[in-house]
Amino acid sequence: MAEEDDAFLMLSDLDSEDSIPMFFDKNRHICYLEMMLELLPSPYQSQEINRLTLAYFAICGLDILRSLDRVDKEGVINWVLSLQAHPRDEAELSNGQFYGFHGSRSSQFQPNDDGDTIPNASHLASTYCALSILKTLGYDFSLLNSTSIIKSMKNLQQRDGSFMPIHSGAETDLRFVYCAAAISSMLENWSGIDKEKAKEYIINCQSYDGGFGLTPGSESHGGATFCAVASLRQMGLIEDDILSKNVSSCFINVPLLLDWSLQRQAATDGGFQGRLNKVTDTCYAFWVGGVLKILGAHKFIDYEGLRKFLFTCQSQYGGFGKTPDQLPDLYHAYYGFCAFSMLEEPGLSSICTELGIPNGVYPGF
Amino acid sequence: MDSGEEKRTRIPFKERPDWADVKPVPQDDGPCLVVPIAYTEDFSETMDYFRAIYLADERSPRALQLTAEAIQLNPGNYTVWQFRRVVLEELGVDLHEELKSFDRIAGENTKNYQIWHHRRWLAEKLGADAVTNELEFTKKIFSQDAKNYHAWSHRQWVLQALGGWEDELAYCHQLLEDDIYNNSAWNQRYFVVTRAPLLGGLEAMRESEVNYTVQAIRASPENESPWRYLRGLHKNDTQSLVEDSQVASVILDVLTSKNSHVHALSLLLDLLCHGFEPSEDLKSAVDVLTPQSCSPDLALTKRICSILEFADLMRVKYWNWRKSTIPVQSPTCQNTDRLADLCARMSDL
Repeated sequence: MAEEDDAFLMLSDLDSEDSIPMFFDKNRHICYLEMMLELLPSPYQSQEINRLTLAYFAICGLDILRSLDRVDKEGVINWVLSLQAHPRDEAELSNGQFYGFHGSRSSQFQPNDDGDTIPNASHLASTYCALSILKTLGYDFSLLNSTSIIKSMKNLQQRDGSFMPIHSGAETDLRFVYCAAAISSMLENWSGIDKEKAKEYIINCQSYDGGFGLTPGSESHGGATFCAVASLRQMGLIEDDILSKNVSSCFINVPLLLDWSLQRQAATDGGFQGRLNKVTDTCYAFWVGGVLKILGAHKFIDYEGLRKFLFTCQSQYGGFGKTPDQLPDLYHAYYGFCAFSMLEEPGLSSICTELGIPNGVYPGF
Repeated sequence: MDSGEEKRTRIPFKERPDWADVKPVPQDDGPCLVVPIAYTEDFSETMDYFRAIYLADERSPRALQLTAEAIQLNPGNYTVWQFRRVVLEELGVDLHEELKSFDRIAGENTKNYQIWHHRRWLAEKLGADAVTNELEFTKKIFSQDAKNYHAWSHRQWVLQALGGWEDELAYCHQLLEDDIYNNSAWNQRYFVVTRAPLLGGLEAMRESEVNYTVQAIRASPENESPWRYLRGLHKNDTQSLVEDSQVASVILDVLTSKNSHVHALSLLLDLLCHGFEPSEDLKSAVDVLTPQSCSPDLALTKRICSILEFADLMRVKYWNWRKSTIPVQSPTCQNTDRLADLCARMSDL
């Protein structure tokens, strides 16, 4: 451990401002993701349960960088499919459990010879990431047992409209409403979610300041605001480019939301912050930028200011860190790529904002 | 560097006599390695033993100890947490003790969802007994990180589910005294004012809260938090916002001071769009700030947008768009502006 810590310190020393390229260093980003795909360094072990999510960042990231040819598509597809939880029969679908995807092998257990009930810990966020990878790799969803996912997902929706991520109990908030909406959207089947209830929950999460908190009453947050707006868009409850339409009759306060979102771009460094009076951070260029994109207001962003900020977070080893002084990590790298795609950086695939994945469209080709 | 010490002195399970009867179950990653992780030896071994115990459904004191070690290394693994709860219940462990022992782990991982979920589960079981402890615990977290989202979420849950509202407004005040820019504290204040059962709700609290907020604005007009809070105090009631003399007066004060005008102008713009009748003083305060390039006959709302285009450069396109859409956005505004435009054209004649 001590040796690794030293190596990390050394890397961060080298990451001084002079050496950071002020252009989108695509080749280095590709190298970075290829390296991560091959082996994640041990500090990632505390995120081991979310291995599907880490794979989602690497694979969808490579697609944004238009380098999917470096991926063993069939191998990845089979690996993802192997993490799906399957009910033994139709009756099990109504036993209260969720049959989606496990986040990693450590929460997945094979049935024993006695046929005892297998502990099932499949998770909404892992399921969202699994489907995102499969979709990105062009997997034919008609080959997937998606009925069990959709039917059992119903078990996770709470009385207040929110979703629990696993049936054995965990926190419920807007993140999992978003996952449920994205899953329904990708599988083109909305029977696993009570939209009216979800809508009510989302409305209750809009704060007095226009943004959304993760739960009713909590502080407005860029990530939560994305989950709210992207869910509403996917459920068809708000129109695309809503600003060009009459917003006064909308069930959420759109003008206040717009104002809140735009004010998150800090005049000091051009980056986006996730909350009022907090530091700017790479990922909010996607979370808040994504909200603005869905509202049809991305064009109001100061592109130059944002690009400059993101360049300061770009690592000379590829990827992006959270802030200028931090080492790159997969999460911030991926949302950095998404942010640059939305800024129409040449050579990148465009993304489907509300799903948070590349849409396979390569502008200019 | 306590944890480093601990790791070095950790005895592997395979060398512990009381674990000799357990056969570890290694992780079966299958043929294709996608984002494999370079696990440390301690990590792999602990998880291998966890798998063995979990599959055997062994609900024993040593299983409980094992889950504690696994959680230290792998705090995000919800299966480990869930199994720990099963064992705790089976063994009838004193949950106060459990809460105490997790104070330390939580202190190291204050941004881990599973730890907070575990705390909530414990507090739920303990009921009203847990209130004081949980409020104190979150206070301790806030003394290190006053904006910790998980801790705020936990605190709000405790208040709503178990009570303890009595001193919450005073606590918000104290946090804002420490840091008037702490938006989490402003949000909590709103939470208390709108939801505390004994305070009587937003309408009953509005006047005193407006006083408090206006003071905070006067002290630091560039602070976005109290401006947003001020609007929040009039949520869903634009009439009361438009008619609140304190609001108009703080806007005038800020506009005529040398401070940042952005938030004051933004609020004034929205007020005007909702039918607010500005005083002569306010109009002349806007006049003073209006750039010379602006036609003096331009409607007040549009002039404010022009000022904001300069004062809030990062959002120049937004304010320009606002300027172009003012008549469309609000019927009241539309009439006022049409009238202003008409007057302007008449004066041209």
